[in-house]
Amino acid sequence: MSAFWIVLLSVCAGTVLSSVLACLPGLHVYNVMGAMVLGILALEGGTHAIPPDVYLPAMTGMIVGWSMLNTIPAVLLGTPDESAMFTVLPGQKYLMAGRGFEGTMITAVGGLAGAFFLVCVMAPLAPRYLPVSQQVLKGHMHWVLWVIITFMLMSEWPKGGNRGPAGWAKFFDAWKTLIAGLITFLLAGLLGFILLTRSPVGHEVAFQNIMPAFVGLFAIPWCLLNMISAANVPPQRTAKSLAINGDVILRSVWSGGLGGGIAAYFPIVTGGVGGMLAGHATAQRDERIFIMGQGVSKFIYYVGAFMLLFVPGLNLTRGGGAWMIKTLYTPLGWADYYLVLGSIAVASGIAFLMMEPLTKLTLKFIDRFNYRHVSTVALAIIIFMVVAVTGWIGLFIAVVATGIGLLPVLFGSRRLNCLGILLLPIACNMSGFGETITGWLRLT
Amino acid sequence: MKGFSHFMSGVAVASFGPWAIEAAQSGNPIFFVLGGACGILPDTLDFKFYRFFYHHDVYVTPDPKSPDPQYVADEIARAVAMAVDEKRYINLKLVSVRLGADFWQQYSVKFDNNKLEVLVKFGPVVNTGQVPVEGTEKRYPTVARARLKAKVIQTYDAALKVDIFDGPTVGLKPMDNGDLDLEFLPWHREWSHSLTVGAFLGLLWMAGAMLWAGLPAAGSLAGALSGWAAFKGALGVLFQHYAVAWQGFVTIAACYGVHVVEDQLGHMGSNIFFPITKLRTPGLHWMHSGDGLPNFLTVWISCLLIFWNLYRYQTGMTFHFSFLHLMMVGLVIPGLAFAALRWLLTRGEKIVVVKGDDADDEWNEMKASGA
Repeated sequence: MSAFWIVLLSVCAGTVLSSVLACLPGLHVYNVMGAMVLGILALEGGTHAIPPDVYLPAMTGMIVGWSMLNTIPAVLLGTPDESAMFTVLPGQKYLMAGRGFEGTMITAVGGLAGAFFLVCVMAPLAPRYLPVSQQVLKGHMHWVLWVIITFMLMSEWPKGGNRGPAGWAKFFDAWKTLIAGLITFLLAGLLGFILLTRSPVGHEVAFQNIMPAFVGLFAIPWCLLNMISAANVPPQRTAKSLAINGDVILRSVWSGGLGGGIAAYFPIVTGGVGGMLAGHATAQRDERIFIMGQGVSKFIYYVGAFMLLFVPGLNLTRGGGAWMIKTLYTPLGWADYYLVLGSIAVASGIAFLMMEPLTKLTLKFIDRFNYRHVSTVALAIIIFMVVAVTGWIGLFIAVVATGIGLLPVLFGSRRLNCLGILLLPIACNMSGFGETITGWLRLT
Repeated sequence: MKGFSHFMSGVAVASFGPWAIEAAQSGNPIFFVLGGACGILPDTLDFKFYRFFYHHDVYVTPDPKSPDPQYVADEIARAVAMAVDEKRYINLKLVSVRLGADFWQQYSVKFDNNKLEVLVKFGPVVNTGQVPVEGTEKRYPTVARARLKAKVIQTYDAALKVDIFDGPTVGLKPMDNGDLDLEFLPWHREWSHSLTVGAFLGLLWMAGAMLWAGLPAAGSLAGALSGWAAFKGALGVLFQHYAVAWQGFVTIAACYGVHVVEDQLGHMGSNIFFPITKLRTPGLHWMHSGDGLPNFLTVWISCLLIFWNLYRYQTGMTFHFSFLHLMMVGLVIPGLAFAALRWLLTRGEKIVVVKGDDADDEWNEMKASGA
């Protein structure tokens, strides 16, 4: 078989596989890719060794498919990962208005627009400009993280203290949410220090050690909330048109591209943080732009970060996918870059086509069963995934993380504060005093 | 302007201090963090602290069980009458109406100075995302009216719409001609938005840092008064010894100040030299504070300025560029490409962009912040 067909089939297989897997709540594509990497490493050197021509396009397809289709469980089943968190609130609003199909399809259009932006705009410019910016910024990543943390904590507004006479009672009522937010950030940071310094997860799945914590911080609280407060989901209608035009798409690419780009380029800055920053920076008021922008942002965050590894002259490792590929393969130049770009383009088209049938299938599932039961099943799948990948100790971590993840739910503070789990320890490490703190905590 | 625009402006201003970049290169982020924090601090002081201690003369608290627009109209008219009769500044609080965990009754207030009336109408029930709940739009068709004792002059078109979270405060200030000047959110940009407060906070930092640093080594200032060269030497020693103190002062005052200057481009303005000035100086009306383009341009130009400043102090660069080159590649060419693409994609279509109102956007932003 010629190399062209091998690559094409690998992309298709990877995309279809991850598109279907993306519909399972709680399962991250990096979990599956991690298992695949272990398998490829085991076969290396033998007669059945898998060549890069097969696994590079397949894994590219997997990341593309997942980044586009994980909107389905996030919006329709209410089990977001961190990068899809901002899509959930407006997405669920669409769901509760019987427009769940429309909401997910708008993010899919965003994903496709993100693919165009990445392949047609960013890709030709990246080899020329990104190495320069990397030269300028490489010594400054630590303060960028601290600045982002500062903004995240300072930009949360109080939600209480709205009635009654002026005074301390009103002040304390208002600060309940802010204090809960700060505590969430610090507790998540503490958990992060523990997991990144002395993870109780077995070394054979060490690259998954943060997964149960993420599931506990973001997905499980949402499931529990849906189970407790589940309103009945109204019958869903399939829209004939998404009522979007060139202006909406362009503005979405503008805001989502900025957010996703920040998240992809800067280490530890995740899609959720990028989305938040872009939302603040571009000040868009249109709900469709917001939802589509999140689709763009999520795509650029996952796929753009992966692409950076292959940019000639840059070869920047960002995101779990790139780190995993790096253990298998060192990109060799323009040929690999074009291979990955072509794979992204093909996979985006396939993933977009998969979006409609899989959304309809999930909506049928929701229509047929009580949403509370749907959330219970989603929770059961999540717990199964955690135990299957990381064992009982992983479940314990998920339970602890759920306790922290429930704080914002209970006090109405910002869920993004849970990202302290990565931001705080990594920022401390990058500024050079992480070890001092782990020393205080008696972790080292 | 939105909080993030102020924040990034603060970071950009901080990046002009060579000490900030030098410290960052050795792993110390303090000046950039200070820059961003002080860029957003004036709003933080108002929205997270001061407003909870602000006294109101009249609280308008509609009953959630049976919302009565006439009660609201009458109470507003009473507040106006108080301001006229007692010839003093009256603070009126329009309290929001919470109907459930996620539902709020919206109502709006309008002053008709021709008929000397205040008009109040209850609108739809909205959720916390400010989206109307279907079927509630026409629940309360009545427009309640109450007679006013004086004209209420709005210097800008602040939308007096009350819905989610906190309701607005309205200040009624008697003027010499007998009319009342309406001040939207009088607790906002009152003292916090002034250059003097920024300088004062900088001085606090400076004093703290000087105490922390202690006195310079004995003998290092000896002979400072014996001649010009010795004096300069001693001054150099002091500047060196208290570097963090004066550098922090400059960073704080400048980054805090840039917030005040930026707010002056909008409608509401700031009380620029409090306590010397007592009132807000009206803004230049160049933009609405919630408009997308000015906010984005502020953030983006700040990013480019930061990048330029980092580049200037970066050693061992293999590629060199000028400021003009950076602006062309980073701003002008992408901007033109975006405009051209937008024109191509929307030819012949009527594009309606959701615009901000004249109400202070930090207020809207605070109310809309959710996730």
